[in-house]
Amino acid sequence: MWLPLIGILIGIILGMTLPINIPTAYSSYMSIAVLAALDSVFGGIRASLEKHFEADVFISGFFGNAVLAAGLAYIGDRLNVPIYLCAIFVFGYRLFNNFAQIRRHFLGLLRKRSFIEDNLDK
Amino acid sequence: MKRLSDRIAIMIVCVILGLMLAAQFKNVQNVGGNVSLQRAQELTTQIQKLNQDIAGQQNLIQELEERLADYESAAQDAGKLNETMYRDLERARNLAGLTELEGPGVVVTVNLISYQEWGETGIIRNVYHEDLLMLVNELNAAGAEALAINDERIVSTTEIRDAGDYIVINTNRHSVPFEIKALGNPDTLEASLMLLGGVADSLGEELEIKIRRENSIRIPKYTGLLQFDYSVPVQ
Repeated sequence: MWLPLIGILIGIILGMTLPINIPTAYSSYMSIAVLAALDSVFGGIRASLEKHFEADVFISGFFGNAVLAAGLAYIGDRLNVPIYLCAIFVFGYRLFNNFAQIRRHFLGLLRKRSFIEDNLDK
Repeated sequence: MKRLSDRIAIMIVCVILGLMLAAQFKNVQNVGGNVSLQRAQELTTQIQKLNQDIAGQQNLIQELEERLADYESAAQDAGKLNETMYRDLERARNLAGLTELEGPGVVVTVNLISYQEWGETGIIRNVYHEDLLMLVNELNAAGAEALAINDERIVSTTEIRDAGDYIVINTNRHSVPFEIKALGNPDTLEASLMLLGGVADSLGEELEIKIRRENSIRIPKYTGLLQFDYSVPVQ
């Protein structure tokens, strides 16, 4: 559970110190890719909590979704079709969904514990 | 998350996500991110307000100039000596570009050449300040009496320099198309530009340059400040 957070922190610190710069023209595609990647990581956390995490699915999803989202947004821009809206919608929706599942998982754990404690008291 | 390789994979992926986040964050910090509609509207109203300010200031300039003209005519009335002084003053003002002038000359327009390739519109190259300087230089050499680019009078302190996508002339920003008006003998002016291997020839390969003779061109006066803070004339 803590591994992803530590990883993101290391990444942010590295990114702030290293001179990595994306051309401004590609900034909008990068933002879509970031959204897709965030969704994948939340999905990974959720899967690991639900105990059906698979590393290959996670990694392929991370890179595949990011590249696909950025690529579709790019093609959409060329064709003047706002596909990036679709990507924002889909990944945003899944992000919130994943977060809701993670929240439910932890709430469920808390409930179980208090239920056991209540029964122990009696 | 049992196996070690899984953990390493997750760690690497998360580091990459962090890198992406940081890079995007830095980018947004640099550029300011997308301009929201509200911000655009705010800026539009600001521009409108500033434009009104400019109009007000221009009225003020006009008012002050009228007063100056009043003083000058009053001085002119005062006597014969003053009249010669007045004539000298008028000449000096013409030379300094402080009067609106009219007469025959040429109008040179500089524009981009655009072309279509793979369904995309491209340009061969932008107009740089050197191009305008070269044209102005050539016109001056051919005896132009007054010059203006996009109605910015060229005076002794006029700068022509690149500033991003614009070219700044007399501290005002201008972009294509540029229209250079020159007062003088139209034949000489045109001939000086149209020389074989001359300025219009070499620039014409990459830019659209049109030279038009006119019988009557109006060249506006310089509206900026001409002030000497450091230099004094040697007696």
